[in-house]
Amino acid sequence: MAAPTNFSSRNQVAPGAAGRLSRNPSAPWRHIDLLLLGCVLAVCVLGCLMVFSSTRGSDPTAFDTTLVAKQALFMGIGIVLMAMVALVDYRRYREWAPAAYGVVLLLLVMVVSGLGSESKGSQAWFQLGPFQLQPSEPAKIVVIVMLASLLEQFNQELNVQRLIMVLAVPGLPMALIMLQPDLGTALVFVAITMGMLLIGGVQGRHIAALTLLGIVGVGIVLNSGMLQEYQKCRFTSFLETESRVCIERDASYNQDQAKVAIGSGGWLGAGLGQGTQTRLGIVPEQHTDFIFTAVGEELGFVGSGTLLTLLGLMAWRIWRAAQLARDPLGTLICVGVLSLFVFQVFENVGMTMGIMPVTGIPLPFMSYGGSSTLTAFVAMGLVMNVHMRRFT
Amino acid sequence: MKKDAPGMRLSILGIVVVALFTSLFARLWYLQVMATDEFQVVAQANRVRVVPVEAPRGRILDVTGKVLVDNAISVQVTIDRTVLEKLEKDERATVLASLAEALSRASKAKTVADIETDLANQRYSPYVPVPVASDVPEDLKIWLDERAAEFPGVSAVRVAVRYYPYGSLGAHVLGYTGQINDTEFEGVADSDKPYTLNDEIGKSGLELQYESYLRGTPGTREIEVDAANEPIRDIGGDPPIPGDDVVLNLNIDVQAQAEQALKTGLTFAQRRACAGCKGGVVAEVGSTVVLDARTGAVVAMASYPTYNPADFIDGISDSEFAYLDDPANFSPQNNYAIQGQYAPGSTFKPFTAEAGLSAGILTPQTTINDSGSFAVPGCTGDSCIFRNDNGKAYGTVNLSRSLTVSSDVFFYGLGARFWREQDALGGPEAFRSLLERWGFSKDTGIDLPYEQSGRIPSPQWLTKFCQEVDCLEATWRTGDNVNMAVGQGSVLLTPLQIAGAYAAIGNGGIVWTPYMVKQILDGVTGEVIKTIEPKELSRVELLPEWRAAIVDGLQGVTTREGGTATGAFSGFNSVAYPVAAKTGTAQVGSKKAPNAVFGSFAPAGNPQYAISVLLQEAGYGGTTAAPVARRLYDVLSGSIPLTPAPLGGKFDDLTTLAPEPGDVRD
Repeated sequence: MAAPTNFSSRNQVAPGAAGRLSRNPSAPWRHIDLLLLGCVLAVCVLGCLMVFSSTRGSDPTAFDTTLVAKQALFMGIGIVLMAMVALVDYRRYREWAPAAYGVVLLLLVMVVSGLGSESKGSQAWFQLGPFQLQPSEPAKIVVIVMLASLLEQFNQELNVQRLIMVLAVPGLPMALIMLQPDLGTALVFVAITMGMLLIGGVQGRHIAALTLLGIVGVGIVLNSGMLQEYQKCRFTSFLETESRVCIERDASYNQDQAKVAIGSGGWLGAGLGQGTQTRLGIVPEQHTDFIFTAVGEELGFVGSGTLLTLLGLMAWRIWRAAQLARDPLGTLICVGVLSLFVFQVFENVGMTMGIMPVTGIPLPFMSYGGSSTLTAFVAMGLVMNVHMRRFT
Repeated sequence: MKKDAPGMRLSILGIVVVALFTSLFARLWYLQVMATDEFQVVAQANRVRVVPVEAPRGRILDVTGKVLVDNAISVQVTIDRTVLEKLEKDERATVLASLAEALSRASKAKTVADIETDLANQRYSPYVPVPVASDVPEDLKIWLDERAAEFPGVSAVRVAVRYYPYGSLGAHVLGYTGQINDTEFEGVADSDKPYTLNDEIGKSGLELQYESYLRGTPGTREIEVDAANEPIRDIGGDPPIPGDDVVLNLNIDVQAQAEQALKTGLTFAQRRACAGCKGGVVAEVGSTVVLDARTGAVVAMASYPTYNPADFIDGISDSEFAYLDDPANFSPQNNYAIQGQYAPGSTFKPFTAEAGLSAGILTPQTTINDSGSFAVPGCTGDSCIFRNDNGKAYGTVNLSRSLTVSSDVFFYGLGARFWREQDALGGPEAFRSLLERWGFSKDTGIDLPYEQSGRIPSPQWLTKFCQEVDCLEATWRTGDNVNMAVGQGSVLLTPLQIAGAYAAIGNGGIVWTPYMVKQILDGVTGEVIKTIEPKELSRVELLPEWRAAIVDGLQGVTTREGGTATGAFSGFNSVAYPVAAKTGTAQVGSKKAPNAVFGSFAPAGNPQYAISVLLQEAGYGGTTAAPVARRLYDVLSGSIPLTPAPLGGKFDDLTTLAPEPGDVRD
C-alpha cells in the first residue's frame, strides 16, 4: 500500500496557506476521489429517473413531475452540502460533534414527545411546511463522528468501562428511535456501531457478547408490545413462515409484489417507463423504500446489476478511503459511513428481493426523501473529506 | 493488541462487504434470470382484467329469407360503478335521485332503491356498466347526453336487443331469450362460446334448440388496472363474432294464415252452441301443423293461446311470467302442437285399418253391416255395447266407406279381433306394435324442445301404469282394444304426430322426422355451413292397394255424400286439389265438450302438404276443426292468394272460414 495507515501519528502539519494551494501537490482538492463522486452522481441520475417513473401517474402518457422535481432539488442541496462538508477539515468536526449530538438528541426527544408527525405507525417526522425532517437521519452522521472521535481517543484500548461509554453514544438515540418505533433505523445504528467497534479495537469476546446481546435484543423487541403488529408482520414476512394474523393482514403483499416487479424484469427489463408494476402502483412505497423494484422491472438484470455495481464501487471507494486515511479518526469515520451505507444497501435491496425483513430503510441516492438524501450526501462528504486530506 | 490489527480488521470488514454484495447479485440473478417467466405471468395478471364483450345473436329467417327474429337497437341507461363509487356520499345520492326522477318522467318508473338493487347485482363484472333501465325513449338519451356532467357514470347507450318484425307470429316456435340462470350456466360450462352470468340465453323454442348456433362468440376487452383495481385504459382484446343465422322451413305467410285460421276456428267454435255435446264449448286452446308431406319439413305450426316474445326483452316481470305460465290462462307459453297430447278420436281410424290389413284380418273389399252398435262377443250388459256416435246406422260399409262416413262399428270389430284372436295375430301387444310404426308413442325428434311423446296403450302398459297410479281397472279387456281402435281410451297423440302420420299415408308409408330448420348460415359471411336433410323416423309397408282404399275413403270425407267434412269443404276445388282427410271428435270426459280433431293431406294422389288441426273442447271435428284446415288448403292450393304476413303480427280481423258447415257428427 502506498500510504499505510498510521494510527500513531496524531500531530499533523497544518495545511498550507490558501495562496499556495495551487502549487501544493498535497492540496486537498487535487485528491478528490473522482470515481466515488462519479458513482454518486450516476446513481443520483438513475434515482431521479426511477422516482419519476414510479410517481408520474398510472396512465401510460402521464407526466407528473412533482415528486421528481422535489427529489432533484434535494439532490442539488445535497451536492452543495456534500461540498461544504468536504471543505472543512474533518478533524474540526471532532470539536463540533458533542454539540451536534446534543441537538440531535433534543430533536429525537421532541419528535417522540408529540411535536412530531405520525406516519405508517411511527412518529418520526417534523412537518416543516411542504418538507419533512426526520431527525433520525442526521443522527446517523452525528453518531458516526461522535463514535469516531471517542474510539480515536481510546486508541484501540477498549476495556469494559470504555466499551460501555462507547455504546452509550449510539444507545441514547437508538432508544429514542425505538420509541417512535422504528426498528429498521435502530438497526442501522447497530450496524454502524458494530463496524466501528471492529476497527476501533474491540476485543473478540466483547464482539461475541454484543452479537448475542443484539440477537436477544431484537427478539425482545419483536415479542414486546413496542412494535405495531403490522411492523412485526412485515419484518418477519420474508421468512415465509407467517403467522395467521400476518396472513390475514396480507403482510407479505408488499414483498411479494416487489419480487414480482423485479423478477418480471428479466434480462433487459420492460424499458424505462414501461414497467406495469411500477406505473400502476402495484408495489406500495415504490418511489421510496421500494425504488429498487422499479429499477428491476424497467431496466432488468442489466440495469439493476449496473446499479448494484455502482453501489459496490462506492463501497469499495469508501473502504479504500478508510484504508488510506492519514489518521484513525479518518479511518473510523469512513468505516462508520461504510457500515451505514452497506447496511442500508443490503437491507433495502435484500428486502425488495425477499431475503431481508421489510423495514423502512431507504436506498441511498435512489429513494425519494429529503432527510435521507441529504444524510447520504453528508456521509459521502465526510468520506471525500477524509480521502482528499490523506496527505495533509 | 498489535498495531497492524486495524488493517487486518479492515480486511475482514471488506470481506463482509464483498460477501453481502455477492449475495445480492446471486439473488438478483435468481429473480431476474432464472425465475423471470413465473414473475412475468404474475405481473401480467396483476394489471390486466379481461371483460367479455357480448356478440350479436344470430337471426332466424323463414324459408323465403324473411327475417323473423332480428337484432334491434334499443337505448339502455347504464351506470358505471367505478365512477359512481368515487363520488362523495351526498353527491352520489343526488345523482341517483335525479336519475330516478328522470326515468320516471320518461315512464320508466324506478325508485332510488330499485337502482341500488341493480347496482348491487353481483352478476356484472365491476368493469361493466350496470343497466338500470332498458328500452328508454330517445328523448331521455338526448336529455341525459346533454347533462353528462350532472350524471357522472350514467350513460344512455344503444344496445342490441331481440326484435320480432312479425310480433307474436310464430312465438311458440321461435321462443324467447332471457338472462341465463344458474342451472343453465352450469349446463353451458363446457361451451366453446363462453358465458357470463349476465348473458342472455335461449329459453324456449328455436332460441333454445339452436342456442349453440345462434349465440355469438363473445369478444374480450382487456383493461389495464392499477393497484386499486381502477381501470386505466383499454389495451386490446378480441372482437366478438356474431352468431349464425338459422333458416327455417317455416313460411311466415303460411304461418300467419295458420294462426289466423286457428284463432278464427276457436272463436267460431265458441260462438256455436254444440248440440249433443256433453259439456259447454271452451275452445280456448288449439293448434295446427302444416308439414311438407314429402320431407317432414314444418311449413307452419300454430298454437293458441299465444304470447308476444318481445315481452321477454330485458327480462319479463314475475307477474307477466306467472300469467303466461298459469293453467287458468291456458298456459300461453305451451306449444300445444308438440306438447298437447290428445285422444285422436276417429282420425286414428286409418291406422287401425292399416293394422287390420297388415294383420290379415281385413282386406280393402271386406264389408260389414253397420247397424249402429257393436256388442263385444261373449259379454253381456250395457258396457259391452259400443255405439256409433248418436247410434247412427250406416248399413253395409267397406273400408273406404267406413272412413268416409266414420263408422265406429267397422273399427270396433277390428279392435275386438286383435284381442280375441291375439294368439293368431302375434300376441296381446301386436296391435300396439303395428300402430307404433306410424311414429306414435315416441318423440318425433322435431328440433324443438319439450316435445311430448304421446301414448299407444296395451296390456303391458296398463299393468305398468296401474303400478304407478291407482286405476279403476288394471286388467286389459276386449273393450280397451275396441276403444283404442277408434282413437279413444288411453290413446294419446300430439297434433304433430297426427300430421306426420297423415303425411306418411299420403307419401306411401314414410314417417318423416318433422324438422323446423333447413339451413344454418355463417353469421359473418352468410355462407351455408349446415343443411339439414330429411330423416326417416320409421317406415310402414303400405301396399299400394291398401293405400288406395284408405286414400279413397279419406278423399270421400271431403267430397262424397255422407263425408264428415263435405260441409267444411263445400265449394272447394277438389278436382284440381283433392284433399284426403279424416275428422275426429274425441271425448275427453263425461262433462266436457269433445276435442275437435282433423288429420289430412293433399293433393291426395301425390301429397305436398299434411295438415292436422286440434281444437280443445270445441265440439265436432267436421264442424269446427275441418274449416281451419279448409282455409289453409284454400291458400296452399292457390284458390285464395297467399298474402304476405302482416308486419307486427296484427290481424285486421278474423279470417273468413267460409262456408261455415253445420254440425257434422263422426
